[in-house]
Order: sequence, then C-alpha cells, then structure tokens
Amino acid sequence: MLRYTARRLLLMSITVIGMVTVVFFLLRAIPGDPASYMLGDYATEESVAALKAELGLDRPVWEQYLGFVKRALTGDLGTSVVTGQPAFDEVLESIPWSAALSVSGIVIAVLAGVPLGVMSAVRHGTFADLFIMFGALVGISFPVFWVGLVCILLLAHEVRLFPALGASSSTDFFTQVHHLMLPALVLGFSVAAYIARLTRSAMLEVLGQDFVRVARAMGVPERRIVYRLALRNALIPVLAVIGVTFAWSLGSAILVEAVFSRPGLGSMILKAVFARDYQLVQAGVFVLASAVVLVNTSLDIVYGWVDPRVSVS
Amino acid sequence: MSAELPPETTAEAVPRGRAVRRALGRYLRHPGLSLGLFVLVLLSFVAIAAPWLAPHGPTEADLMNTLAHPSGDYVLGTDQYGRDILSRLIWGARISLEVALAVVALSLTFGSLIGAIAGYAGGWLERTMMMGNDILLAFPGFLLALALVAARGSSLENVILAVSIAYTPRVAAVMRSVVITIRPRPFIEASRAIGMSSSRVLLRHVLPNALPPVIVVTTVSAATAILAEAGLSFLGLGVQPPTATWGNIISDGQGFITSNPLISLSAGLCIAVTVIALNLLGDGLRDTLDPQMRRYTGERML
Repeated sequence: MLRYTARRLLLMSITVIGMVTVVFFLLRAIPGDPASYMLGDYATEESVAALKAELGLDRPVWEQYLGFVKRALTGDLGTSVVTGQPAFDEVLESIPWSAALSVSGIVIAVLAGVPLGVMSAVRHGTFADLFIMFGALVGISFPVFWVGLVCILLLAHEVRLFPALGASSSTDFFTQVHHLMLPALVLGFSVAAYIARLTRSAMLEVLGQDFVRVARAMGVPERRIVYRLALRNALIPVLAVIGVTFAWSLGSAILVEAVFSRPGLGSMILKAVFARDYQLVQAGVFVLASAVVLVNTSLDIVYGWVDPRVSVS
Repeated sequence: MSAELPPETTAEAVPRGRAVRRALGRYLRHPGLSLGLFVLVLLSFVAIAAPWLAPHGPTEADLMNTLAHPSGDYVLGTDQYGRDILSRLIWGARISLEVALAVVALSLTFGSLIGAIAGYAGGWLERTMMMGNDILLAFPGFLLALALVAARGSSLENVILAVSIAYTPRVAAVMRSVVITIRPRPFIEASRAIGMSSSRVLLRHVLPNALPPVIVVTTVSAATAILAEAGLSFLGLGVQPPTATWGNIISDGQGFITSNPLISLSAGLCIAVTVIALNLLGDGLRDTLDPQMRRYTGERML
C-alpha cells in the first residue's frame, strides 16, 4: 500500500513536470515573435526588447526551458503583462470562485447521476431505463453554454427564481450562494448525464457477473443483491469515473463562467487570451491542469485503498 | 471482418453476399444506430447542398429587416445585421461537419498509429510514449484546445488542428489498451513465426483487429469535436465572423435572448441534434460491433 502510494506520487510529479513542458511550448506555438505579439501592434522596440529579455527569448531554447521549469516549480509563473502582478497571485485570487462552482457542480452531478445510473441498470430494458438514458443522452449532447442561456431565459427572466448573473459583489454568504445556484445546476446537469451513463454500464457489467448469478440462485433478495453486492463493486469504477469527469467539468466550467459572467479561473484565462497576456494564460492553464492531476492522484490512492487488487497489480 | 459476423455464418457456410446482408441488417435493426445514421446522412445532404437550399446568402445583410421575427421571407427571423437565421444555420452545418470529419480523420490516423506502436512495441518505448500521452490526457481537452487556438490564432484550420491535438491522446489510449489484448493472441505469434516484419504484422493484423473499439471512440470524438468547435466559436475564439457557425450564431443571439430567443435557441438545437445523432451512432456501433468492448470505450473518452 505504501509502495503504491509512493509510486502514484512519483508518477504525479513526472506528470506535473510534463505539463510544465507542454505549457512552455504553448507560448512558443505563437507564430513569429511572442513578445511583439503579446504587446500588440503599437509597442515600441524598447518594450519588445525588454519583454524579450524578461521572457528569456534571446537565449537558447533549452536554457529558456530549464529556467522556466525551475521557476514554475517554485511557484513563479511570470508576471501579468496587463496588471504587472505576479501571474500566480492573479490565479490564486480566482481559485475560490472556480472551486465553489466545480465542487458544487460535481456534488450535484454525483447525487443525481449515480442513483439514476443505478436505477436504469436495475430496470434494464424497461421504460424507466429508456427514459433516464434518453435524458442522459440529451444532457451530454446539448452544449453546456446553450443550456446555461436557456436556463437564464426561463429561470431568471420568465420565472424570476435566480439572478441572471453568476456572481454578485455582495459579501453576504446567502446572496453568493443564490448567485451560484443556477451555474452549479447547469454544470451539474451536464456532468450528471455522463456519470449516469457510466454508472449504468459499470452496474450492468457487475450485475452480469457470476457471483451475482450465484447469489440470485441462492435466493438472496434482489434489493440485497443490488445494494450490497453489485453497487459496492460498481462504485469502484464509478470513483474512477468521477476523477475523469472532474477534468471534463473544468473544461465546461470555462463556458459556464462565460455565460453567467462569473469570475473564476476560466474567465481569467479568457480575459488573458483576449488581452494577449500570455504568461497569465500559461499560469491559468498550468494551475487548472495541476488541479486535475492532484484530484486524480488522490482518487487513485483512495481507489487503491478501497480495492486492494489495484495496488497489488 | 469475420469477427463481426455471428459464429454460424462463416465464409464456407453462407455465400458472402448473404453474410454481408445479414450483418448489415443487424446494424440497421438497431433503432439508435439507424436513427443516428439517418439524421447524419440528412445533415450531410443539407451541408453539401447549402448553396441551393439556403433561401438567402449566409452573410447577406438586409438592413431594413434587422432582428425581424419569423415571416414568410425569413422563416426563422433575422439577426442584428438582418441576416437570415435559417440560411446561416444551413451554412453552419458545413463548418460543424467539416470540423467533425477533419478531427476524426486526424485523430484516428495519428491516435491509432501512436497507440498501436506503443501497445505492440511494449517495454520502454511503450512506457515513454504512454507517459507523454498521459500528460496530454491530464489537460482538460477543451482547455488544451482553447490554449492552442489562443496561441495559433483563430481560424478554421487552427480550430481543427487544436481540437485534433487535444483529442488524439484519447484515441491513442484506447488503441493501446486494445492492442495489448491482441498482442498475445496465437495468430500474431504465428505471423511472427513465419517471419513477418513487425511493421507488416502491425499494419496487416494488429490494426484491423483493433479497429472496432477505436471506431466507436472516434464517433464519440466527432461529437466532442462539434461541441468543442461550438464552444470556441461561442467564446469568440473559433471560426471568426461573419462566417456562419452554430457556435457564433448562439453568441450573436445571446444579447437578444429575451427579445429574439429564436436565434440562439435554433442554433443550439442544431448542435444538439447533430451530437445526439453521433452519440446514437456511437452507442449503436458499440452494441453491435462487439459488446465486449464496453470496457475500453466510454470512460476513456472524456
């Protein structure tokens, strides 16, 4: 178990270094000269040269790369060209907003998706199964930003249940939660659709296995089979699924934040993209991706804990 | 091919034509699969025939009729520049299907090659290749595509390239996990025993046998590609206006969602219908090609 945890952590560090590499080359993917691109058309030659020196663009690539990795791992992700603040600080400021949205979205998704998935697997082939699976298909097929727009139209303009904006400047906790509800529901709906589909297929696979057949033949009550035998075994793949959907939900969160004009990492990255503040984009992308790796590694470790077979192989 | 036929229909027992017909029938009897296929064929027709089907040009502005409500002349109304929404939707189908096709072609080619080589080679080569693959997989796909488009600039080609780069690792991961189950099979060993070169074994035996699950994954990746393009265009980072795409029609209509909700609503429905069709096709193919493959696909695609 300890060896397994250590190996996971080692793997995580390698992945993080790999991600720094990808992020480094993102800036170099800008055609032509990144410095003059970032400063726009009206930049003076001196300011371009200064930015070049700051980014280290005048040095050989491998030297730039090593320097970038070293600085990134100590939390120095450069400075924002627009505000002059360290990029990492700017990112930190928006993390609570994103965390609130993602966590509440995932919680809604798990609470809705897992029971629906189980129900549709247990009633495999019935009308209920068809209905749930059709709902899930719709959920994964509608663009999340469009669902957001429709919800704003219906629930904020027609029936004034929620505010149309995903955030308010008020510091009152309940006002904030009220503003968070609609974005979280929209995000949760689309993630729940994925979780329901994957839970259903995991559950069906377990229900088709021999030990379930044996239990049925022995006359174990169906409720007990479903909840004690099948669900417990199916929860292990579902745990993995939650890890995968987390990465996916962070991608959708960018769009949800944009629709609801809500601050957060996604809207920060977007703003930075339009301002050509590329170091801030790098920092945001790196932190978002690191969050995914961190969550997945923790889930992997929990996974090995719950299911000893995983840590042995 | 024989793997897809039921066991009793071997080449000797039934004439080939009948076996193929029977297999085809099995696909077409699957309600989801045939419905998905039907919708996609219809959409392709609309996309190809756009110049003849669209009542107006996609960028033709009628400044006397801006934000018009549906009427005989403008079936779905017009946007803020007086452009016909229906015509823009019809032309938008072209962009979405173009993106889907190109992304499928690129990610299928490179993803399955990378996955097959890694899975077949084994050892350190597999470990390093999969390490790199896992690093790319750790990025949320949409985020990676967004960052690439932001760096390379917004154009149809860059959107296709970025989405393909973001989704190729997913195809590669599935390909590899299938190939490692094929590698130890006797017929691979036999081909090697008779002195076939590695590249020949890979291309002639491993790839064709590993293809079914990968085809399912690419169907799903076509759906994700359409959603990603729509998302990027909605954010203003994808295909640039005035070109009509479903994503930027939604963003055009966003400001008029209360007065002219039809603009955004209709474009979203177009996206959803296409993506539902692709998902139905993918689910159907997964059910019919090989029920065993559930393990590889699905979870891997997010």
